[in-house]
Amino acid sequence: MAEDSAGLPSNYQFWMQKLSVWTQASTLETQRDICLHLPQFQEFLRRMYETLKEMDSNAIIERFPTICQLLAKSCWSPFILAYDESPKILIWCLCCLIKKDPQNSRESKLNSWTRRLLSHIVSTSRFDIKEVGLFNQVLGYAPTDYYPGLLKNMVLSLVSELRENHLNGFSSQRRCPERVRSLSRDRVPLLTLPDFEPLVEALLTYHGHEPQEVLCPEFFDAVNEASLLKKISLPTSAILCLWLRHLPSLENTMLHLLEKLISSERNSLRRIKCFMKDSLRPEAAACHPAIFRVVDEIFRSALLETDGAPEVLAGLQVFTRCFVEALEKENKQLKFALKTYFPYASPALVMVLLQHPKDIPQGLWHQSLKHISEMLKEIVEDHGSYGGPFESWFLFVHFGGWADITAEQLLMSEAEAEPPEALLWLLAFSCSPGAGHQQRARTMVEVKTVLGCLTKLFRSPALSARDLQAAAGENLGGDPRPPACQQLVRRLLLHFLLWAPGGHTIAREVITLMAQTDAIMNEIIGFLDYTLYRWDHLCVEAHRSRKLARELLTELREQALPGQVNQ
Amino acid sequence: MDSLLEQLDRFSEVLAVSRTTHVSTWDPATVRRALQWAGYLRHIHRRFGRHARIRKALEQRLQNQWKQEGDSGPAPAPDLANFQALGHCDQLLSLRLLANPALGDASFHCLLQQLFPGPGVPDAEEEALQGSLARFASCRAAAHMLRFHAYSENPVLQKDSVMKTQAELLLRRLHEVGEAEAEGPGRLLSRLWERLPQDNFLKVVAAALLLPQASPRLQEEELGVGSPKTPGDGRQELLRWLLGKSDIVVAFCRNLPAELLTSVVGRHPELSPVYLGLLTNWGRQLHYDLPKGLWIGTEPQDVPWEELFSRFQSLCQAPPPLKDEVLTALKSYKAQDGDFEVPGLSIWTDLLLALGSRV
Repeated sequence: MAEDSAGLPSNYQFWMQKLSVWTQASTLETQRDICLHLPQFQEFLRRMYETLKEMDSNAIIERFPTICQLLAKSCWSPFILAYDESPKILIWCLCCLIKKDPQNSRESKLNSWTRRLLSHIVSTSRFDIKEVGLFNQVLGYAPTDYYPGLLKNMVLSLVSELRENHLNGFSSQRRCPERVRSLSRDRVPLLTLPDFEPLVEALLTYHGHEPQEVLCPEFFDAVNEASLLKKISLPTSAILCLWLRHLPSLENTMLHLLEKLISSERNSLRRIKCFMKDSLRPEAAACHPAIFRVVDEIFRSALLETDGAPEVLAGLQVFTRCFVEALEKENKQLKFALKTYFPYASPALVMVLLQHPKDIPQGLWHQSLKHISEMLKEIVEDHGSYGGPFESWFLFVHFGGWADITAEQLLMSEAEAEPPEALLWLLAFSCSPGAGHQQRARTMVEVKTVLGCLTKLFRSPALSARDLQAAAGENLGGDPRPPACQQLVRRLLLHFLLWAPGGHTIAREVITLMAQTDAIMNEIIGFLDYTLYRWDHLCVEAHRSRKLARELLTELREQALPGQVNQ
Repeated sequence: MDSLLEQLDRFSEVLAVSRTTHVSTWDPATVRRALQWAGYLRHIHRRFGRHARIRKALEQRLQNQWKQEGDSGPAPAPDLANFQALGHCDQLLSLRLLANPALGDASFHCLLQQLFPGPGVPDAEEEALQGSLARFASCRAAAHMLRFHAYSENPVLQKDSVMKTQAELLLRRLHEVGEAEAEGPGRLLSRLWERLPQDNFLKVVAAALLLPQASPRLQEEELGVGSPKTPGDGRQELLRWLLGKSDIVVAFCRNLPAELLTSVVGRHPELSPVYLGLLTNWGRQLHYDLPKGLWIGTEPQDVPWEELFSRFQSLCQAPPPLKDEVLTALKSYKAQDGDFEVPGLSIWTDLLLALGSRV
C-alpha cells in the first residue's frame, strides 16, 4: 500500500482543484477539460480506491479530511458518472466509508451522507427528466425500464441527424461541420457505452463536404483505444474509416501488435492471430492497399530496427497469411492489382509466393522452391530492376513458410544425394539478406556440410546428442560462423529433432546444450510455436512430430516463465 | 411448478415491501436471502426464456397480479409486469434497497458487500449485477448529458427522443394490460388522463400513434424473441379509447399543433371524420365582421380564423387521399351554404379562396 499511495497526496490536491473548477461552472471550456482528463481521473480514482480499501473509515477521514468533498463533486458530474468504469470505482470508494455499526453521531452522519450519495449515483432523481419521471411513475415503470430505451433513442436520433446531413449536404445547415465536430469531441466520455456504437460508427463513416477533417483527434484516439481494449466492437468498415482518416490510430494498433510480439509474456502465435483478426483486421488491409502498405512499412521498419527479430518475422508471416486469406475471400476478382499491394516487387515472383504450399502437391514443392530461388537469385545477384537484396528478402519473408519447407526438404532428402544448389542458396539467402555473394557462398558451404552429416544421422537407429552436436559443430580451423549462419544451423537442428524418427529421445538434451543464453531459449520457443502454427496451416499430420513440438513448447515456456504457461 | 409460482408470488411481495419503511426490520440475513431469491428468479428467466410451457405459466401468474391490482391498487402496474421483468428483478430490488433510508446500517453494509464486492470477483453472477448497476448509472448520466449538453429537443415531436421513448413505453404497457384483461387498456388510459399533465399526455398519445408499425425493436427486445404471442398493437386500443371519449378527442384536436394532427390523421384515417367534423363545427361558430372584413368568434373559446386556416392548410398539404377528402368536404360545405364565390358570405368559400392561392 505504501507504494501504491506514494504520490497520491500531490495528485489528490491536483484533482481536488480540477473538480472545484469543473463543478463551479459548466462552460464549454470546462466540459472540454473534463473530457480531456477523464482517463487520468479514472486512474486516480482507482488508485484512491486501492488505498481506501485498506483503511477504516475513521482513518480515511483523518488521512484525507476532504475526501467527502472529492467524492461528492465527482458524483455531481454527469461526465464522470457516464465515463467507462468511473461510476463503479466511485461506488467502491464510497463503500469504504460505510460503517457497519456506527458508534457515534459523527459516524452515523457519515453513514447517511454516504448512503445518499450512493443512492444518487444509481437511483436518485437529480438527473431525471421531469416530465418523464411523473409519466413513468404513473405508468408504473422503474427508471431501469426507461433509461436504456431513452438513451438508445437519443443515439438513434443523432445518428439519423448525421445521415440526413450527409444526404442533404450542408446547404441547409451551415453550422453542420461545427456540430459534427462538437458531437465527436463532447461524446468522448460516452464512447464505451454499448448503446453508443451506432453513433460512433455514424461519425466515423460520416464524410462532410469540407476539405478539412471535421472530427476531432481526441475522438479518433479514444475510439481506437476503446476498440483495442475491446470496450467497443466496431464493424471493419468503420475501423477502415478510422484508419484512413487518422493514421496515428493505425500506427498505434501496430505498436500494440509489436509490443505483444516482443513482450516478455510471449504471446502465442495463435493469440497473436486472434489479436490481428480482432484489431488489425486483415480484411481492411485487403480492401484497401493503402492500409496494407502502412502496415507493411511498419513491419519493414521493425525488421530493420531489430535486425530481423524472429518474433517480428513470425508476426509478419501471420499477418500475411491472414491478409492473403482475406484477399481471397473479399477480392475474388482482385479489385486492386497485386501491384498496388507490392509496388516494388516483381509481379511474377509475388504470384509464385502467394500460392499457398497447401494448394500444391507435396511432390511439386521442390520445383516451386527451385523456381522461387532462381527468380530471387536473378534479382539479387544480377541486380534486377526490383529493388535491392533487402527488398527481395523482405518480400520473401512475408511468405517465410517457404524457407522452412526448404529446410525440411533438404533434411529429409536422400543421404547420398547432393543437395540442390538452388535450395541451399534460398536457405542461405533467407537467413541473411545483407550478406554479399561471397559470404552467402560460405554459408552455403557450411550448411552443405552440416546437412551432409544430418542427413546421414537422420535414419540412424541410435542417435546421441553428442553426434548431433558434432554434426552441427564448427569447422575448427576457419573463422567463427556469422550469427545469422549460427541461427540457421540451430534451426536445422531443431527441424531435425522434430522430424528424425529418433529425435524425441535426444531432443531435450540437445536443446539444453543449445540454449546457452536466454535469447537462444526464446528463439527456440518462438521456433516451436511458429512451427506448430505453420503445420496447422499446412495441415501437416505428423502426429509424433507435433506431439514432441507441443511438449517441448510447454516445458520450455514453463522453464522460461514459470507459472505463465497457460495464460 | 406450483412451488415456483408460489416463489414468484412471495418474491413479488418482497419487492413491494422493499420500498417501504418495513425494511427497517430486515437484518443482514434477510437482505442476503432477498438477493438470492432475486438471483434465482433471474436464473429462471434465463433458463426458461425459450421453454414455452413454463414461460406461459409464469406469465399467466404475473398477469393475475394485473387483475388484482386492476381497479384500486395503489400502483398502476405490478413490480414484475411481465416475464422480461424477471431478467432484471435483482437490479430492481437492489436499486430500491439502496435508495431506502429505512434499511438499518448493518443490513445496508451487508447489501453493499453483496452488490459491490469490488474488483476481481470470481463469482460471475455478482460481477454481472455490480456491472449492470454501474452501467445503469452510466446510462442515466449519459442520457442526462445528452439532454442538457449539446442535445436539443427535436422540433418534430414524433422524432423527439423523450417523446418517442414515452410513446414506446405507453404502447408496451397497453399491450401488457391488454394481454391480462380486455378492459385493461381503456382503464389505464383513463387513469393516465386523470393523473398526468394533459398537454404532455396528449403529445405522447400522438407520438404513440405515429410510431412505426410493429416496431421490430419492441417486438424483439422488449417482448423477447421467441415470445409465443404476437405483439399486440397498443395503437388500436389507444385509438378506440380516444374515439370513445368525446371530450378527450376534442382536447386532442384542439391542443396539438396542426402538422402533428395532420400526420396522425394521415396515418389513422378513422380519425379524419372526427377531426374534420370538429373543424367544421369550429368554423360554423365564426361570423363575418363586415367593418373589419374578418371572420371572428363570439366566445373566448372559439377557434380563431388564423388557426382554422392553418389547420386546413396543413391538411391540404398532406398526401392525396387525405388532401382530397378535405377539399371535397370543404366544397360540399360551400355548396350547402349556397355556393357563393363572393368573400364574406360563407366561411367555406373564404377558406377555399385563401387555400386556393396557396395549396
